[in-house]
Amino acid sequence: MGFVVEQPGILTTVQDEGRYGYEQFGMSPSGPMDLESFHIANLLVGNPKGESALELTIMGPTLRFTKANVVAVTGAPLSPKLNGESCPMNQAFSVSEGDELALGAVQGGCRAYVAFAGGLDVPEVMGSRTTALQNKVGGFQGRRLEKGDEIGFRAPAAALPHMERRRVERKVETAPVREIRVILGPQEDRFTKEGIDTFLSGTYTVTKDFNRMGCRLEGPVIAHKEDGNIISDGMVTGAIQVPTAGQPIIMLAERQTVGGYTKIATVISADLPSVGQCKAGDQIRFRAVEVAEAHRILREKARELEALTERINAPDPEAKAPRCYRATVNGLTFTITLTECDD
Amino acid sequence: MGVYTLHHVGDQAILVEFEPEISIPVSRKVSALKQALEGCRIPGVGELVPTYRALLIHYDPLATDLDALLEAVDRCAKNPDLSKLPKAMVTEIPVLYEGEYALDLEEIAKIENKTVEEIIRIHSQSDYYVYMLGFAPGHPYTARMENPFSFKRRSEPRVKIPGGSIVVQLALSDIIPFDQPCGWNIIGTTPVLACDYRKANPFLLRAGQWIRHVPIDKPTFLEIKRQVELGEYRCRTYEKEA
Repeated sequence: MGFVVEQPGILTTVQDEGRYGYEQFGMSPSGPMDLESFHIANLLVGNPKGESALELTIMGPTLRFTKANVVAVTGAPLSPKLNGESCPMNQAFSVSEGDELALGAVQGGCRAYVAFAGGLDVPEVMGSRTTALQNKVGGFQGRRLEKGDEIGFRAPAAALPHMERRRVERKVETAPVREIRVILGPQEDRFTKEGIDTFLSGTYTVTKDFNRMGCRLEGPVIAHKEDGNIISDGMVTGAIQVPTAGQPIIMLAERQTVGGYTKIATVISADLPSVGQCKAGDQIRFRAVEVAEAHRILREKARELEALTERINAPDPEAKAPRCYRATVNGLTFTITLTECDD
Repeated sequence: MGVYTLHHVGDQAILVEFEPEISIPVSRKVSALKQALEGCRIPGVGELVPTYRALLIHYDPLATDLDALLEAVDRCAKNPDLSKLPKAMVTEIPVLYEGEYALDLEEIAKIENKTVEEIIRIHSQSDYYVYMLGFAPGHPYTARMENPFSFKRRSEPRVKIPGGSIVVQLALSDIIPFDQPCGWNIIGTTPVLACDYRKANPFLLRAGQWIRHVPIDKPTFLEIKRQVELGEYRCRTYEKEA
């Protein structure tokens, strides 16, 4: 098997990358609220980055293992304990049958991830193991985990090669005021110039209405030219709706697929994890960037993930000799020497 | 023809808008653009989501040549080829217009100053165009083109109405797939499922097709419901007459 849920925490669900391809039928993809932390948790335990894992919210679960495996915890900072002893975050470690992993409460941020080598044994629904809480489908019986639930591992591993390399130095954004980058539109022309200025200069506070569907904010009222209604159109994760009352709502993983409110801007993909780490009382300031800039940031993030994968899977851990590469750019050939750092 | 506007929707989607109106001609342009782009097979382009007047095009920025996508969009959106759209199909939706399955039917008749039978006739003797799906999985936004009712929403929405409810206002009629809050009037109930996760394709309907409500009696309702539960029922579907 895998593990039994001793304590479920506030909101713990099975997530993979999401259930894609059904938005035209009204089904949103769901998936992790902090995709970056989720990916890294999987990479640390040797999984494909989109493998099924647990997402926990604010207060994590306590799990008792019924099968040995390798696990990793990433995301919002926690003090996880294995059989009462502190164990690390952002680092793979082995657990044995009978061990108890208590995740505890987040200290800043909102969501954390627990990945298990080989992934979780829940059925695929429409090609995905992700839980869609709103639609009561997928994951473990379409719902949050409860005390006594037992989930199996699909392909557990008592140990993995290079355990010492399965770690990463990282901290998720937990500052009380986050800067979130956005691309204006698609309906920025439905707002007055003052309205746009208000949106980009104001500080917005996350209200108690924040969940996997969306995050309601409160702050300076954003002025429309007329009102906040449109002929309903398609929605993306990160869309910032502003209904007529002028308070923004960031639409997240379990958003609806269409909406009838004006969308002033859209959070860039690279900053969605930072929104996923917001909880009531956190504050957000928005900064507009261009599409090309957002794509550049996204490519950089993708390269970092690739580098992490390569570092974990590199064939020889002892090799520290400088490596020399040749690269040709615009007809000029360069040699590049890379030396691994001691850190 | 040829009028469209393009918006970036964050860094992973673009939106193509046609005229700002809810009409079949505009909806058909959206369908034609969707079909044409599907034919282009541009690497990295993800799901295409049609709505009343717009098509949302998801793409993976790490795998898509955005310029190539925009060029294809321009080529296809300037001249949406309606002639290649598939023939219009009609799916029959059996509906029980009776008792607790049609909570607001008598009230609707009173508002419209007609008999219950006349209301059922109005509701069941038109084809309804499916503009789009959304709000809940499999939930269609449909409308008939004639004989609109005069009322809109109820003054107080209900906290929960059952899945299968057929709800109406003006010329609009929606099938509610799952239990949900709702402010519309319930005219009847269908035993068929707009979304059935047990099926390889869970969704009964798709944007751009038509539906027709067919009145059934209670024994038929219960028999269809039994077949639906066994996964054996198939709605009658046929080509729409021109």
